Amino acid sequence: MTAVLAGPGIAPVTTPGTITDDRVDLDRPWDVIVWDDPVNLMSYVVFVLRRVFSYPEPVARKLMLEVHRKGKALVATEPREQAEWYVQQLHGYGLHATIQRAS
Amino acid sequence: MVLTPGEADLLRDLVEQIRLLLEHPDPDDPVRQRLFPAAVTGDDAEDAELRGLVYDDLLTGRLVGLEELVGYLDGGRRVRAGLQVDLQAEQAALVLGVLNDVRLALGARIRIEDLDRDQLDDNHPTFPTVVLIDHLGWWQEQLLRILDPQSVAHYDDLDESDFE
Repeated sequence: MTAVLAGPGIAPVTTPGTITDDRVDLDRPWDVIVWDDPVNLMSYVVFVLRRVFSYPEPVARKLMLEVHRKGKALVATEPREQAEWYVQQLHGYGLHATIQRAS
Repeated sequence: MVLTPGEADLLRDLVEQIRLLLEHPDPDDPVRQRLFPAAVTGDDAEDAELRGLVYDDLLTGRLVGLEELVGYLDGGRRVRAGLQVDLQAEQAALVLGVLNDVRLALGARIRIEDLDRDQLDDNHPTFPTVVLIDHLGWWQEQLLRILDPQSVAHYDDLDESDFE
């Protein structure tokens, strides 16, 4: 994965026929995705996943390996505010993480 | 941590470079783009909004980390091998994060994501930087061994598919 501005570079998506304002529905879940990058150490990623999410080591390791092998992994699904907080923390540790509306 | 005098000087220099970069924003700088990456996919407006929200804390956190590291170096004591820096757990965790920022910055500067490491030889202009990134990574591993031994790589982490 290239570590440039737009990450996966997906164009904005509008959901057809939706009347609801998603911003009002704060409980609607958002996916937190961690993306692979060429610098972060595998052990560091495990450490960060443990620190941020309090995951047990086997879970953190499994997610890290998925990031490493598949280029990305879904690490959590949360209401909007929680997802934003997670991404902020992950960015603080230098991980490349994004949120997107849960499918 | 025990650092050779060369390592301590190098770290100070790198910290200063990054500090300057953070304090004088250039939006086209790939280092900046890596340290303040995309936050939301699927919605550019939401992405801009969340990035705006997190920016200040992210910037402050990084600047404080850089400052703290210099403080620890200043507080180190001279031993025969060089400079010994004693760290409490949370200080070690902070150093771990700062080293990571430094590695990310170096990697972004040489566009490491576009490099094929198998083709790098010691004549390649980016070679010294790659060596430095690896060296700092070794420091991270040492800190992780103490901070969170469970996170350190296992031999069975990698299988054949990782070497394709």
